[in-house]
Amino acid sequence: MRILWDGFVEAWRLLLGGDAEIYQITLRSLWVSGLALLIAVVAGVPLGGLVALRDFRGRRFTVAAINTGMAAPPVVVGLLVALFLTRNGPLGEFRLLYTTWAMVIAQLVIALPIVIGLSLAALQQLEPGLRQQIAALGAGRLQGFLLQLREIRVALLASVMAAFGAVISEVGAVMMVGGNIRGQTQVLTGAIVQETRIGRFATAIALAIVLMVLAFGANFVLTMIQQQGRRRA
Amino acid sequence: MTNAASRPDDGSAPASAATGALQPGRHGAAAAPVLEARGLQVVRGGRVLAAADDLTLHAGRVHVLLGANGAGKSTLLKALDGLETARGELRFEGRAVATAAARLALRRRTAAVFQRAYLLNTTVLGNVESGLRLRGVPRAAARERAGAALGLLGITHLRERKPARLSGGEAQRVSIARALAVDPAVLFLDEPLASLDPPTRRSLTDDLLGIFAETAMAVVWVTHDRDEALAVGDAVSFIEEGRIVQSGAALDVFAHPVSTSFATFLGLDTYLEGVVTNFGDAVTRLALTGGAVLVCGEAPDGPAVACLPPEDVVLFTAPPAEHSASLRNLLPGKVKGVRPAGRLLIVTVAADGLEVAALVTRAAFDDLGLTVGGAVLAAFKASAVHPIPRHERRPA
Repeated sequence: MRILWDGFVEAWRLLLGGDAEIYQITLRSLWVSGLALLIAVVAGVPLGGLVALRDFRGRRFTVAAINTGMAAPPVVVGLLVALFLTRNGPLGEFRLLYTTWAMVIAQLVIALPIVIGLSLAALQQLEPGLRQQIAALGAGRLQGFLLQLREIRVALLASVMAAFGAVISEVGAVMMVGGNIRGQTQVLTGAIVQETRIGRFATAIALAIVLMVLAFGANFVLTMIQQQGRRRA
Repeated sequence: MTNAASRPDDGSAPASAATGALQPGRHGAAAAPVLEARGLQVVRGGRVLAAADDLTLHAGRVHVLLGANGAGKSTLLKALDGLETARGELRFEGRAVATAAARLALRRRTAAVFQRAYLLNTTVLGNVESGLRLRGVPRAAARERAGAALGLLGITHLRERKPARLSGGEAQRVSIARALAVDPAVLFLDEPLASLDPPTRRSLTDDLLGIFAETAMAVVWVTHDRDEALAVGDAVSFIEEGRIVQSGAALDVFAHPVSTSFATFLGLDTYLEGVVTNFGDAVTRLALTGGAVLVCGEAPDGPAVACLPPEDVVLFTAPPAEHSASLRNLLPGKVKGVRPAGRLLIVTVAADGLEVAALVTRAAFDDLGLTVGGAVLAAFKASAVHPIPRHERRPA
């Protein structure tokens, strides 16, 4: 019990004292996950729209693949990305393995199906009649798509937050492709693993607090926006 | 214009009739063609879902697409509005609408209201502005025009309200205001009243007809309701299995259905046109265009059409003494024709410049000793005549 208490006290001391390493790790986490998320949203929402609104051969298979991707275990993603980036792999020449870029790629692979899948589902739930009404209002293809995104804005935000939650808290993929190298590729989750392993519980707890704040913060923002959407509706 | 219905001979009527350019409507003004469809077909999976061989919409006219549910009316409406791809020729203001870009251009000159008001998740004002904004109208101008449209529909007080807090009738008014705000050349209304309660339906119909009377837009009004068609339509096209079976001036089409299925759809009612007048003696009268004056059910003064169900018409060979108090309308005439309707008979009576259909039992027919050409009295209560107000439209 004492070890836990001492750990917490020390953790708060580190956080409030502005421990440089903790802040560096936090910033790296935010940068890796944030960039992966940004790319996932920019690419994933239009892709979700394409799958939701277009009829094409293999559409069912594509949807099934996306849904499977949403549930892909991070370690499996890490393994796949590592295989592609390893020196003898298809993308080995770019020498990305054990860099933050490799981590961004791995987290992108995790986040992308979530963003595509959730925006696809939200778009499909829009009534066909509304889509038709939007066209009848004189919307061009892009205008119509943007107007539909506006209609599903709460669901879109949920998909962004869900993806953020998934990438900020995953440990398997980033450790496999980033190597969890202290000062270079170590992010919050990897650092917690390492600090716990070597018995520096206070630092591990401090890092865990930061991670929890980020994860809860994201969910809090999401909940607030959803509730506001409900109140206004 | 004929003001009384005559039934088609069973099966002998031609399966299709002229569906071409409408004759000048009841106001006589020649209106400009806005949208023309020639050999237009919506084909899906090898099946023709809707077709218009020859259909012309004119400025300032309400063209009703009438038919049973699933007849293809809505599909045809969508094809005419460029919402469905279709084979054949569609011309808007003389220009062919053949490409996706041309269909978009068409939709930007038209507006559509559907049975359900599909409103965007923004304020009422935001909704009414949306069509204008999508068409590139600057925000300030869009806001002004949207405000005017809200005023036209009497819903200015709802401008900041969200769609979830609107009643069905209010939502449909917003949808209509949104359509009118863009000042469309053609307004498409797909069963706009179908999901509303009767009082809301009546008030909205009155408002719409008032608005139409003040504008020169062409209106396409899809409905399965014959009374609605009669009340709003300058022209009516009857649609069956995706095809226009009959098209023409509303009263003409109703009075002379060319197919038995259309006649069945219309019911066996006699359709009358005239002007309702209340003289202050608690009696409402309908002066028919043919000259006869009938005592009818309550209705506001003004032009109206009326249905007279044949089961409400009683035939006599001599004036009925004891019934005369309630049978306010007593028309002397001659039996023009007799035909079976199931176990009953439809007797057509030519009386006082109009034709009235009466449904009688075979026994009654024999008892009265009726013969074609023989004298007869057609009698019916005032309440049997239901006038439906029609708004006169300003000649376009």
